Amino acid sequence: MIHEVTWIGAAVKALIALLLVSAVAGFGTYIERKVLAWMQRRPGPAHVGPFGLLQLAADGIKLFTKEDFIPQFSNRLIFSIAPVITAGTAFIALAAVPLFPDFTFPSWIPLLGGVFVPSIASDVNIGILFILAAMAAGLYGPLLAGMSQQNKWGIIGAARTAVQFLSYEVVTGLSLLAPIMLVSSLSLVDFNNYQAGGIGSWMLWQQPLAFILFLIAGFAETNRTPFDLLEHEAEIVSGFVTEYSGLRWGLFFVGEYANMITIGVLASVVFCGGYSDLWLIPGWLMMGLKVSFFFFLMLWVRASWPHIRPDQLMWLSWKVLMPLAVVNVVITGIVMMAMA
Amino acid sequence: MSLEQFKNRNVGQQQYRMLDLGKTPETGWGRFKQVLGRSLKVELLIGLGVTFGVMIRTLFRGETHTIRYPFEKIPISRRYRAIHEMKRLLESGHYRCIGCGLCEKICISNCITMDTRYDENQRKEVSEYSINFGRCIFCGYCAEVCPELAIVHGDRYETASEQRASFSLFEDMLTPIDKLKSQQEYPGFGAVSPNADENIKKTPLAY
Amino acid sequence: MITIAFYFFAVLITLLFLVTVMSKNVLYAMTSLAAGMVLISGLFFILGADFLGVVQLIVYVGAVMALYSFAMMFFDVNKDVKEKNGSAATVFLLGGAIALMLVLVFSAPMIGQGAASLYPQVAGATNPQAVGLVLFTKYLVPFEVAAVMLLVAMIAGIILAGKKMDLSLSTTEEEILDETQGGDK
Repeated sequence: MIHEVTWIGAAVKALIALLLVSAVAGFGTYIERKVLAWMQRRPGPAHVGPFGLLQLAADGIKLFTKEDFIPQFSNRLIFSIAPVITAGTAFIALAAVPLFPDFTFPSWIPLLGGVFVPSIASDVNIGILFILAAMAAGLYGPLLAGMSQQNKWGIIGAARTAVQFLSYEVVTGLSLLAPIMLVSSLSLVDFNNYQAGGIGSWMLWQQPLAFILFLIAGFAETNRTPFDLLEHEAEIVSGFVTEYSGLRWGLFFVGEYANMITIGVLASVVFCGGYSDLWLIPGWLMMGLKVSFFFFLMLWVRASWPHIRPDQLMWLSWKVLMPLAVVNVVITGIVMMAMA
Repeated sequence: MSLEQFKNRNVGQQQYRMLDLGKTPETGWGRFKQVLGRSLKVELLIGLGVTFGVMIRTLFRGETHTIRYPFEKIPISRRYRAIHEMKRLLESGHYRCIGCGLCEKICISNCITMDTRYDENQRKEVSEYSINFGRCIFCGYCAEVCPELAIVHGDRYETASEQRASFSLFEDMLTPIDKLKSQQEYPGFGAVSPNADENIKKTPLAY
Repeated sequence: MITIAFYFFAVLITLLFLVTVMSKNVLYAMTSLAAGMVLISGLFFILGADFLGVVQLIVYVGAVMALYSFAMMFFDVNKDVKEKNGSAATVFLLGGAIALMLVLVFSAPMIGQGAASLYPQVAGATNPQAVGLVLFTKYLVPFEVAAVMLLVAMIAGIILAGKKMDLSLSTTEEEILDETQGGDK
């Protein structure tokens, strides 16, 4: 049964995605602090509210009331819009991300009764490329922030942004190419439907190498720990966020967490079955579980592994991961030709 | 690990265990193979396992290393030198200080000020006694030199205060008279060591 | 609706590229260039060419990012660049002539009403498929030639960058370095 997507449905979906992801992104900071604390034999935030849950509100109040500081010799305009680019593109990428299955409002609800809410706010038929492009554009945030703030740590952070972007972007694209060839579509809905047959039909089993490559590139894309070169405290103070304070700094953070969720969703939809029901577990819960796992994996890795140097990242991306990805694509192509 | 091993900080004398990292590869192909080998040997996953185990233990067995400081404190050593305490005689409740002035004399940062006079019984009475805690370096000489164990170092290490003067007067440091019974003889800095009796030797009478 | 969107994007793109040309600040110039390139993809989306729009995004985001890294190396981004501008009249004339020529070239088919699609769209093909069909049938030879050209450029780049790469500048003796680099002292 095919439903027509009205603009109300799309707007509702966009609103849900925006609210959900910004809430989860805020909550993510709490989760990150808790998980990292547990892995380091600490209790983590525990004093504000039950289990420290209200720490989030305390941090929010602190960020809101902090002085918005702009350095004297910085480029004020660019300095101001850089955080907006990061947060904005992170949410633009979410426009093409399926967060949970489509549903129809029951008819007894006033105003919205009978409105069909699609699984994707805007089901462009090149969804996966759109997400990658939007997330790539998001890297202008750190780049401009670092270049505009007249601070050597910022400049180094910006240079590392460019280096990191030019390294991992190839791997992201090539690692996703093999699954795209198998599904022969760029739409995430098609990806989901391709793997609808339970765990056995997950792309993960057909493309294990692509899955690992995509995860590695995803970690680089979201600046998570093995590749958190842009703002590594031990080396370059805070990199591109050195001069930021208050809400602008908070926007960078929200953008980073939204990106983490997007990568989690991409990994679940492309490789782990997406939002199809599994046994008795409904699709939206399945999706939530999988995205939570990938989110947890990022924190887990951050607690466990050391981070690497920029030159090691470039070496890894261009000389190890890219050849592997190309070989994977070629093998996939040969197997597909042989099967057909 | 025994204390001796712990205290030995000379590099190269401990029993370090060196990891076998293998040969450093010379060629690009060698490095490629090394990365693949290290990835396929599940060492990275073992690292993940370690942190996960720690998380489980912290969560479910409460093995945390955190002391929730204002709510719980670790016991400090009795030899810790914090804010001074003035002790009283247990029998009479009179303060022990005899006004000899040794502490004032030995104080290397000149922070102890005292004044004495003779009272009506021709006994020495401490009329003024203050310690300037802005200057005190907590060296412990005063406690060590005191012949009566009257001034000792206590265990109040939270020395943040709205005024420096809050700690410094004789009355503030003196054991309150109603808490005389709970005054503890202080085994800490400046007190007689437990084996003091054994260490006492007869004064040589040669001179 | 589409007309409004088109003019919105058109005005924004023109303004941004004007900033690119006019501004003396490298940071402003490049940021507006990047923003303009991103907004051009909006025009593709309006036309329903989703695939081309996204390709525009991906390609130019990366390209301008590389440009930024050059700017970072060569300019102090927070100072104005002093432009060497010999004769304003020549610059104006040349720029104006090129702009006029471009407008004429691109509006010629519209005036002559000869704007017909050379290769009919395959019915039912999605966006990437349509692009692929055209690319691998009618334009196969130019496509492959372009690919070979890119390969040549890539190899040339590697050779240029990789020359004497095994020679460490920090550990080799100075005399040996001078010899290997042709002895220009």
